[in-house]
Amino acid sequence: MRHTGAGLFARIRQYAGGLRIVRTPHSLAVPYALDALDPDETRRFERHLETCPRCTDEVRALAADTVRLASAASVPAPPDLRERILTAVRATEQEAPEPEPEPGADSSARGGRDAPSRARTRRRAGARVLVALAASATALALVAAGILAFALIRADDRLDEERASAREIAHVLAAPDARAADARDARGRGLGVVASRSLRQAVVTASGLGAPSGGRAHQLWEVRAGAPPRSLGLLDGETPVVADDLDARATSLAVTVEPAGGSGRPTTPPVVQLTLESVGFGE
Amino acid sequence: MDADELLPLVARGDQKAFEELYGLVSGPVYGLVRRVLRDREQSEEVAQEVLLELWRTAARFDPARGTALAWILTLAHRRAVDRVRSARAAGERERREAERAVRAERTERAVRAERTERTERAERAVRAESPALDQVAEEVGGGPEREETGEGGLEREWVRRCLERLTDLQHQAVTLAYYDGYTYREVARRLSLPLGTVKSRMRDGLTRLRDCMGATA
Repeated sequence: MRHTGAGLFARIRQYAGGLRIVRTPHSLAVPYALDALDPDETRRFERHLETCPRCTDEVRALAADTVRLASAASVPAPPDLRERILTAVRATEQEAPEPEPEPGADSSARGGRDAPSRARTRRRAGARVLVALAASATALALVAAGILAFALIRADDRLDEERASAREIAHVLAAPDARAADARDARGRGLGVVASRSLRQAVVTASGLGAPSGGRAHQLWEVRAGAPPRSLGLLDGETPVVADDLDARATSLAVTVEPAGGSGRPTTPPVVQLTLESVGFGE
Repeated sequence: MDADELLPLVARGDQKAFEELYGLVSGPVYGLVRRVLRDREQSEEVAQEVLLELWRTAARFDPARGTALAWILTLAHRRAVDRVRSARAAGERERREAERAVRAERTERAVRAERTERTERAERAVRAESPALDQVAEEVGGGPEREETGEGGLEREWVRRCLERLTDLQHQAVTLAYYDGYTYREVARRLSLPLGTVKSRMRDGLTRLRDCMGATA
């Protein structure tokens, strides 16, 4: 058989349905495995992969090579990264294995990228808290898990305000110098805090306080020597409070029972108090 | 347990399994990201993103498509490469902006002279900016963090030795792409080689690496 160059091209094109589309992708397996394609080429090659078992095998084999290249670069991660990640993990919802059908109407209106994240937020965070508590590790993890689980539940029900607060909380938790502490008395009343000295912020949660009687309120205070306590706001049950502009010299946080709406200064002795020394404040 | 056994547990929310997995993959993930990005702070940030994403999206892992380690390191590599490329693109935009300003002010001739000089300077910079592999390995692996021993350490050493056995072009093609995050088109430009040649140098390099490693995996 004899082919002219043009005849051969035509045959290939006919057979493959377009020379450019088919011939290039095969040869792109190696740069693809090295992540060395530009975005367009990557998309094109991934489409091609779906219809090319041979390429899929090849890519899998090449992945073993790139794993070696990656492993050769291995260096121990900074020690504090571990604590940060594990803390964040205890507070971070996972994507559901399968997309959960949503009774709500808005999931179809949103982009594909957004939909799974909503599904994730909507999964029952309560179960996750129990897992987190059962896995009981450091104080930071426990405190953070409680805080985030709460934030997630709220983000479920409420709107932008709650989401903003969840973001703020996540921001404090992710600070490189985030430290946690908590304290609880014999009656199970306690305060937990995750604080960042560099941000001068803290996420504070109270637990076991119950609702004060007679329409009164729980008020949170920043305490430091030589200055009157500064109000950090009223507590709403166990909802985490983000305290801003903390004084580096603050020695503790305290909660008192105050008349509805709060007071300018504490009018009763603290119900619970937590020192801030271990979280980097108060020198 | 290895990563392939741990990842499905992680996908079901097992935090202990995640801790164990962290122990296995944090070094390779951080090392790889650091290798691509160089900058310590950015690397920490990206590694953190990747490891959290690993937790969040563990359910997406499909064992039919490869090993867990490959999945994880691919995730890490893509994030690092995305980051380094967008940083480069921003730098490029700035350069072009500056060039436009210069052009507006100067005569045609002055611009031409300037541009020649700048090209030369850029070329010198490019040469200076891509140090030899060993040098980078030294720099990244050095310091107080370096204390790792054991099986993983041995394999790493082995890979590094095998990399040294590639020809210069194979070595450059593979490392410019994988460790420095350049696309194969950029690699071709930097090495002044045709695209086809770059692709085959990459392929040959990986094949030789595989052979040298004994192709046990």
